[in-house]
Amino acid sequence: MMTKRISIGCGSAWSDDRLDWAQELADSGLVSYMGFDCLAERTMALAQIRRRDDESCGQDQRIPELMERFASYLSSGGNIVGNFGAANPSAALDDVLRGLRTTGVSGVRIGAIYGDDVLDHVRNQNLELPEMGVSVLDLGEKLVSANAYIGAEPIVELLEQGTQFILGGRIADPSLFVGPIAYELGWAVDDWEKMAAATLVAHLLECGTHGTGGNYVDPPYRVLDDIAHLGFPIAHVSDDESLITKLPGTGGAIDTGVVKTQLAYEIHDPCAYLTPDSTSNFSNVWVEEVGPNQVRIGGATGQPRPDDLKVLVGVDEGWKVVTEISYGGSGCVSRAQLAAEVVAKRLEPYNSGISEIRYDLHGVSALFNHQLSRDEPAEVRLRIAALCQDREVANAVSFESQYLWMGPAGGGGVVTQIVPAVGVTPAFLPRDDVKIWTEVVDT
Amino acid sequence: MKLREIAYSRSGDKGDISNICVFAYEDIHWETIRSEVTVDRVRDTFGDLVKGDIVRYELPGTKGLNFVMTQALAGGVSRSLRADPHGKSYQSLILDMEISSSV
Repeated sequence: MMTKRISIGCGSAWSDDRLDWAQELADSGLVSYMGFDCLAERTMALAQIRRRDDESCGQDQRIPELMERFASYLSSGGNIVGNFGAANPSAALDDVLRGLRTTGVSGVRIGAIYGDDVLDHVRNQNLELPEMGVSVLDLGEKLVSANAYIGAEPIVELLEQGTQFILGGRIADPSLFVGPIAYELGWAVDDWEKMAAATLVAHLLECGTHGTGGNYVDPPYRVLDDIAHLGFPIAHVSDDESLITKLPGTGGAIDTGVVKTQLAYEIHDPCAYLTPDSTSNFSNVWVEEVGPNQVRIGGATGQPRPDDLKVLVGVDEGWKVVTEISYGGSGCVSRAQLAAEVVAKRLEPYNSGISEIRYDLHGVSALFNHQLSRDEPAEVRLRIAALCQDREVANAVSFESQYLWMGPAGGGGVVTQIVPAVGVTPAFLPRDDVKIWTEVVDT
Repeated sequence: MKLREIAYSRSGDKGDISNICVFAYEDIHWETIRSEVTVDRVRDTFGDLVKGDIVRYELPGTKGLNFVMTQALAGGVSRSLRADPHGKSYQSLILDMEISSSV
């Protein structure tokens, strides 16, 4: 009997990821599944704001382009799983259906996953917010959203029903890949060793070109070929082994260095990497180069999945205003510091409406405060950033920051921006409290 | 010498928590990194950027360290006022650490 094997690729790692390179992978014929992670903590919060402003918005904004680029892949039977729903899965489903009609592709069975939006539930339960030290009701009107990270189970169920295109809201990043792997290889979702093995593969795929060398390059120590055209990663998984590679002919690399940094990316305790699908132990994971741009990985072990699901709660923080202005030549640092003092003085009447404000100097202290010090730079850029409750106060901060056009001497290149500020904070809900349901639509 | 000469790193964020992994280019440097890149040294390196705890984990299978730092991102990416709210550049700060030159 032939060993079952799945070839699965990544098509997106964030909400604005490029689809041209993802299409190259789809059209290569090398993968039968592609997972699209479209969400980050910040993206989800911003999507909730878009939905708050317009009920038909809040889904991934690339769906029309996606449907056009992936029409051929879908027509040839390729499968797609993505959290395109963001804050509005039903609007995403509408966009997918519209895209299929526009491109004339038919016969695609679509599955949608709902239930990650637990806003009403966390309000009724007055859930605790451990990092903020308050409860949900303490937030009052500032409570914007609450989304539970959901796992691979509904994906497996939808694949069993023959769906080819699956979308949902806050499906956890690795689960987008764990679902197809479990379904194709017949791995039970309560076989913790298998779930850990699948989660390891998923973790190495979910960051897209981040995981094929994009965020690895640091000359002269870390140099890779042709990072101007990175490839999306691919995994070939069977009962016997897991191989990670990337689209041939693309830049970047899949080697031990690149894979190790992705392995530890955004994990906390490597002995207990918590996802909705498993508690995975990555501490003894091994990575072995078996060919050019090809590694074999293994060594993950599993424990039962957590009883609670993580929930990300969005909190309205008002407005964030950021203004920047440059100073150059001798004395530039002192002139920029003087400029900051002047703005602080002029903003005094607004202090009660400013929750937080900071003045940083790009080129001196903007990234690391004063933890690193070097000689006086040739030029600096003053950055003034404030969090304000009201739009009017944000406007005032922006106005006073821009007024640096009028001195101290030689300030130029003012750029200012005001955006809604939504904070996110974690909470936890018993798994059984999150009611997930699915919908299947034939086209 | 700088840690950057013998190690590489990457930083990531979850809420107000930043994690930074450090791996040795060559296996022979693993023990040096393990003994020198301590929680105390990392705390000195990050100073007031990190308000909370710093915990160090080891990944023996891949010869790596993982530092998990709480209250490290001025409230987290969606609300932070910092120029780099994700702390993506933290990976470069840790590599700026001085390591004993006996390696």
